[in-house]
Amino acid sequence: MSTVQVEVEGLSKNFFDPSRGEVRAVQEVNFECRGSEIFGLLGANGAGKTTTLRMISTVLQPTAGTARVLGHDVASDPVEVRRNLGFYSASTALYPRLTARETLTLFARVNKYPAERTRSRVEEMIERFGLGDYAGARIEKLSSGMKQKVSIARTVVHDPPVLIFDEPTVGLDVLNALDLQKAIQELRDDGKAILFSTHIMSEAERLCDRIAIIDKGRIRACDDLEGLRAATSQHYLEDIFVHYVTGDNTTE
Amino acid sequence: MDWTAIRLLYLSELRAALRERAVLINGILIPLLMYPLMMWVMFSGILFVTARFESFASRVEIAGLPAEHRSLLERLEEDEGRVEITEVEAQAGTAAAAYREDVENRLLAAELDAALIFETTVDPPGNAEVLLLSNGSSDQSQAARGRLERALSAERSAWLDRIAEEHGLDGAEWQVFEVRSNNLATGRQMGQFLMGMMIPLFFVIMIANGCVYPAIDSTAGERERNTWETTSTLATRRIHVVTAKYLYVATMGLVAGALNAAAMVVSFRSFLGPLLGRLGGGDGSGFAFELPMTSLPVLLLTAVLLGALIAAAMMILAAFARTFKEGQSMVTPVILLVILPVMVLNDPSMEFTPALAGIPVVNVVLLLRQAIAGNVLWLQLGITVLANAAAIAACLWLASRILRVEEIATGSFEGNLFQFLRQHWRPAGGKA
Repeated sequence: MSTVQVEVEGLSKNFFDPSRGEVRAVQEVNFECRGSEIFGLLGANGAGKTTTLRMISTVLQPTAGTARVLGHDVASDPVEVRRNLGFYSASTALYPRLTARETLTLFARVNKYPAERTRSRVEEMIERFGLGDYAGARIEKLSSGMKQKVSIARTVVHDPPVLIFDEPTVGLDVLNALDLQKAIQELRDDGKAILFSTHIMSEAERLCDRIAIIDKGRIRACDDLEGLRAATSQHYLEDIFVHYVTGDNTTE
Repeated sequence: MDWTAIRLLYLSELRAALRERAVLINGILIPLLMYPLMMWVMFSGILFVTARFESFASRVEIAGLPAEHRSLLERLEEDEGRVEITEVEAQAGTAAAAYREDVENRLLAAELDAALIFETTVDPPGNAEVLLLSNGSSDQSQAARGRLERALSAERSAWLDRIAEEHGLDGAEWQVFEVRSNNLATGRQMGQFLMGMMIPLFFVIMIANGCVYPAIDSTAGERERNTWETTSTLATRRIHVVTAKYLYVATMGLVAGALNAAAMVVSFRSFLGPLLGRLGGGDGSGFAFELPMTSLPVLLLTAVLLGALIAAAMMILAAFARTFKEGQSMVTPVILLVILPVMVLNDPSMEFTPALAGIPVVNVVLLLRQAIAGNVLWLQLGITVLANAAAIAACLWLASRILRVEEIATGSFEGNLFQFLRQHWRPAGGKA
């Protein structure tokens, strides 16, 4: 079995909102993710998925608890965490005035991909994601589908062992969404540990090796699909999800 | 420090900026072209107005011209060119008053451009009190007045010399209270004085102008484009990202200032010099606009200091902006803060004392003015560098403290610098 790449223990995040006061966005979340695994975070909007993934990617600092990526702590060693991680989000934009090739080169170099191999790696990514005709065009001139491909290439260009995809198919049409899912499966097959958040049941069912159901900042259940079915006596993931978010079954 | 990452990010910022029309216009084109264009327009405008004045045929009426001053007519026709002269007899008593009223009415109705009335004549013959009437609201009348004044002045001098000669006196004897003036400044010094007054002022304005867009673009612009999160996932420390952005903003300010100074010197030499010469009636050799070689390193140094300081101050304020519009309103005070003291202190008599060298921005302007005049005051230069370095360090320290706060970095903080300071620092300096 692959080694644990991501470990999350008691991870919590509180925000202060002027109108709502102290908001507990994520509460004592625990899970781990191994290489060659797609670990899904399934939850409704506002359940705490994005906040959890942002803490793991060091964009946000945890209020309590820890997360480690390849043993590097997100709080004490954020640069090493980011070096070993690729973060993709539907809301994460690209630099509009750089070209696709310049973007990939920048991310490879700053993320410490070996300088002497950067050029060939960038060309490999351009080839793999079908960006050849557009690699020299500014990002702002590209279509949404092409931008999304550049985004994925940007996420993996430095060949990180851990990848985070935060609701990646939001706003994509069916064909582009399927393309993206296929790319994620290929990355899993390459041995990557993948954290994948979604609120779309069919997507989680099709892609994820294990699923954590998150609601109101807490993980209610975490297992593979068969395990979740067995625990709830429900067949469809949608029913399983409803079972956990409307019931009182908490798994930590 | 991870200088490789800083360099890569810095170059990316610059590359992206140079593809942005607003940066090119504000940071390069305006500093480079504004002054040559402005001075060319001014030069052409003044030449046009002068030519127009010269082309006017002045309608002049002269009443009661004494026989001793018939040469005035020749002067007017020969020296001033296009003058249409109507001579009338001297009037006396009520006729004189009526005549004067009539002349005034014709001047106001633009039927006449100027009138000379020789009112009283006492001994010696030719001695006269002359009334020159014109209409100040008419260009044509103003031109006629100028022509009459010049001709009258020449006529008066010649007549006085004649009278003195008749009495056996030469000029020096009868003009016992003679004023002679001599400008000891060379054309180069006069040019340096004028450049010293203008270049530092516009230099500061252009550096501030050059920093504005990059400062907002690299902070609020990133939030508006949702690229801040992308940048946050780069495998380098946040301070390196901020350093790269800061260097980019400072570079744009420095470039804008340096281009502006170069453009101004060229404009002075190509347009202002000939213009001043023409206005002064000379051949343009009165002013020489040449920068002393010693001023060039000082110019570069001041561009670096000002660019670095203004960039730091603007980034502190722009860090709180979530949109470009917010950013614009937040950095405007920096522009005012920088420009106002420079304008207030733009007094040629102001001495560059060591005390003034301790005041950032003001010291840079005074240092630059001295350098343009060919003086390098080493003590003041040293104090200026130290004072600005301290101000830059303070700004960068504050910026790093601010950007450590997650709400600021993610753009969820609602407020400005002053609200932030109130919330996050107690008087003792501890975090609230």
